[in-house]
Amino acid sequence: MIITRPKTIEEILTMLEKFAPSPICVVGCGICARKIQTGGETQVTSLVDELRSHGLDVLDGKMVKHACSATSWDELSEEVPALAQASALLVLSCGAGVSLLGRISGKPVLPGLDTTSIGGALGDDISEGLCSMCGECDVAIYAGLCPKSGCPKSQVNGPCGGSSDGDCEVGGRKCIWARIFETLDSRGLLALLDDTRPPVCHDRRL
Amino acid sequence: MGFADVLDSGKFIITAEVSPPRGTDLSGVLAESHQLQGLVDAVNVTDNQRAMMRMSPMVLCHRLEEAGFTTIMHITCRDRNRLALQSDLLAAHALGIRNVLAMSGDYPTMGDQPSAKPVFDLDSVQLLQMIEKMNNGLDFQDEPIDGPTSLCAGAVANPGARPLALQLLKLNKKVSAKARFIQTQAVFDAEVFHEFADVMKSTGIPLIAGIIPLKSARSARFMNEKIPGVTIPEDDMRRMEAASDPVSEGLEIAAETIARIRQHCRGIHIMPVGGQGNTRRLLEMCGLD
Repeated sequence: MIITRPKTIEEILTMLEKFAPSPICVVGCGICARKIQTGGETQVTSLVDELRSHGLDVLDGKMVKHACSATSWDELSEEVPALAQASALLVLSCGAGVSLLGRISGKPVLPGLDTTSIGGALGDDISEGLCSMCGECDVAIYAGLCPKSGCPKSQVNGPCGGSSDGDCEVGGRKCIWARIFETLDSRGLLALLDDTRPPVCHDRRL
Repeated sequence: MGFADVLDSGKFIITAEVSPPRGTDLSGVLAESHQLQGLVDAVNVTDNQRAMMRMSPMVLCHRLEEAGFTTIMHITCRDRNRLALQSDLLAAHALGIRNVLAMSGDYPTMGDQPSAKPVFDLDSVQLLQMIEKMNNGLDFQDEPIDGPTSLCAGAVANPGARPLALQLLKLNKKVSAKARFIQTQAVFDAEVFHEFADVMKSTGIPLIAGIIPLKSARSARFMNEKIPGVTIPEDDMRRMEAASDPVSEGLEIAAETIARIRQHCRGIHIMPVGGQGNTRRLLEMCGLD
């Protein structure tokens, strides 16, 4: 799941003024953004109302099944006719969804959300930053708890000096290394951490 | 005598810490450092400490070396990827700097440039491995460099971090990565340090205990809240609050701590909050001047 956060209405209004010809269509995404309530029906409807209250020409507000995946623009337009009629799309999805809709529609697309990480949802409990997309997943070593994404400093050989009583030095967070250590300790697998890990090969993502 | 020789000599080691200026003028810190002449075995120079932007420590190390000091240049992984780390280590070596202290570095949001990109391409263990390779004439990709470096690299540790086993996980890797010495976060609780020193004894690595003389109850509270890994015991806080001369009380507390841990470490590293004037006073109080 891709984690997104809403942009402020001021940011959206500024963006619309700079980049979007009228009329626009607000588009929500039926997968991640809907699940974490940043781009579901409620958020789309409420944004349409708010934009109209600011005098903007909003054609409609509609959901697509998944903004990051479509068979063709024609099929999508058939499913959601307002998309074809709009001069620009304001998309409440992750950056991938915005990019894909821009690519296949040929229209100006504007992001209504900021994309922050890959996370997950257990019911209403949303976990952010579960994966850093490093391109060489070795999470088995760390009891399934990735320190490259879970530690702000991406420490792979143990905690930094700012870890204290299970807390991270970066405000309000728990130290992922304390959790890795506890979990492996409870499974009798601490020896997995004995070897010094090499740094990430960033070229593997190219 | 180089710092590596001091480490080998068995003498009680004294280091002190200075910070580069937040501007282009080095005269203040050079004058301040002058007070350490003849008093310390090496001067540590910080690298954007607490993620606060300052001049590169390489320049100040170079000037201090010219003035006759042995320096230990801090180098963090926060602001440099592996290219820049190697580049800076070669540059430091070319300027005559022979000692470095490898560390991860405080996170940018702790400092005055909170929206900076945190690099952390390597961690401190991998940085120590990089230095070891360069000392063997190789770059990080194992390709030969034009002449090996000869760098004495140290690492940091926090004796008060809990759980200690978690701290040791990384510290033992630093030892395996050929760290030549450990300089610790500030020690206020001698018992905590004794426990740490006992655990580290088998590694044989020289432990240099960090000492911060408290200056006021207010700054003590600030350190307790804002400096990662620093915990000042309640008793010391009460003494600072009750003191009519807080600076002297802070030095007294530091001297007492040094007396308690002296037999358990190879040396002390003094990190004065503010000026160096009190470093001499503290060392005199301990009979270490």
